Amino acid sequence: MKNNVQFLWNRFSMREALLLGFCATFIVLTKATLRMKLGISGHSMFFLMFFLLLARGIVPKTGAATLVGLLAGSISIALGLAHKGPIIMLNFVLPALIVDCAGILLPNLTSRYLTCILIGGIAAASKGLSGALIELFAGAPMKIVLVKGLIESLGGVLFGMLGSLPVPAIIRKLQTNRLIAYSDNRSQQRTGDESQV
Amino acid sequence: MKRRLMGSDYACQYRAVDSPIHRLPAGWKMFISTALSVWILVVREPQPLLLATASCLLYYFLARLTLSDLWRDTRFFLIQFCILLSLFLYRLGYPAGLWPGIRTSLQIILFFIPGIVFLRTTQVSSMMKGLRKIVPYRILFLLFTSLRFVPFFAREMQEISLAQKLRGARLSPRESFQPIFWRDVFSCIILPLLVRAMKTADEAALSAQARGMGSRADRTYYDVRVLEAQLATREKTRTRTDTTPNKKLTCQKLPIKRRCETNEK
Repeated sequence: MKNNVQFLWNRFSMREALLLGFCATFIVLTKATLRMKLGISGHSMFFLMFFLLLARGIVPKTGAATLVGLLAGSISIALGLAHKGPIIMLNFVLPALIVDCAGILLPNLTSRYLTCILIGGIAAASKGLSGALIELFAGAPMKIVLVKGLIESLGGVLFGMLGSLPVPAIIRKLQTNRLIAYSDNRSQQRTGDESQV
Repeated sequence: MKRRLMGSDYACQYRAVDSPIHRLPAGWKMFISTALSVWILVVREPQPLLLATASCLLYYFLARLTLSDLWRDTRFFLIQFCILLSLFLYRLGYPAGLWPGIRTSLQIILFFIPGIVFLRTTQVSSMMKGLRKIVPYRILFLLFTSLRFVPFFAREMQEISLAQKLRGARLSPRESFQPIFWRDVFSCIILPLLVRAMKTADEAALSAQARGMGSRADRTYYDVRVLEAQLATREKTRTRTDTTPNKKLTCQKLPIKRRCETNEK
């Protein structure tokens, strides 16, 4: 049964919205699991970037990653996993916004390794942004804020790039098994091939 | 056991005690937290900062949170404190960089405390009640559904992991530094979990749509309070009609569930 009724923002069907909600659930679950086992700075960016890019790949619509970020932030707050309080929302929403903006410019973002890694790294760099904003408001000099942001973001960028690495392979696997639709060019090719046959 | 109940297992965990802060409505707590956080960011001089610190700590301890809770909540910021202080000392030198470094680091720690008090004193249900007035119901539906499925997917993850281990997948934490571990994590756990999520999303969407979810712009539901108020007025009229025998009570407009209950009685 096709599910074409638009449920959210005249953009996402209920199935898509629920799938994005589940991606947010996975982010929180992996974050909670890793928090107990690892103590390395920025490691949470690994699965955050993986699931944000995956969500963008599974539901290739603008706003998909942002919705996942919003929901993941809200779930973390509700479950008490936010060690920075409600400000933690920014840590989820800012990378998601970057992924969505990149998705507008590069529609096949999640099917190419290079773009995936690049965007994953850039989005993960926003980890230190919320902290930097607070420091700026608190009156810290710009130079110090920048250096500290760089130190904090370094681990995040590394883990973010690593996390975005397996996304194209997984998207391809899902496409091959016809669990998700092919991106535009490929679907045209595919339908052409099928009609020739 | 008592210690476990009194203390908390992790930072920002809700603490079930009775305190004036716990009794405040979520909206008021949010307002106080925002006001305190803004005040902390604005102050620059030692005396106002001392006053802001005292207010913050008073707010924290009024919520009947302990010193160990405070340590649990703020220990994450200690590394940040050290980095910031050393950067200030490196840039401005020893005596000149000390006060600005301590002030900024302290301000950052204090900025988060009111938000932490909010999380520690507000139950999820109260937060959601407050959110209902601001956030559209469709997003709230998504949020509740995602929250509901957290234990479901945690269980699924465990089951898939166990099954894959039995099939020979290398998923033990000891092998986490080997590339094969990560290959197996993605192909043996994440991929099946995604397929399961897609199937669950299909079923849940179908089920919700069958119940009329999303068919109207506003949310429609049976309001228990309205039903009870209706029932109370009907009971009143019933007692009145009992005294005046000419008037008969009609129960036809009562909701079905309530009508059945009255029939059983």
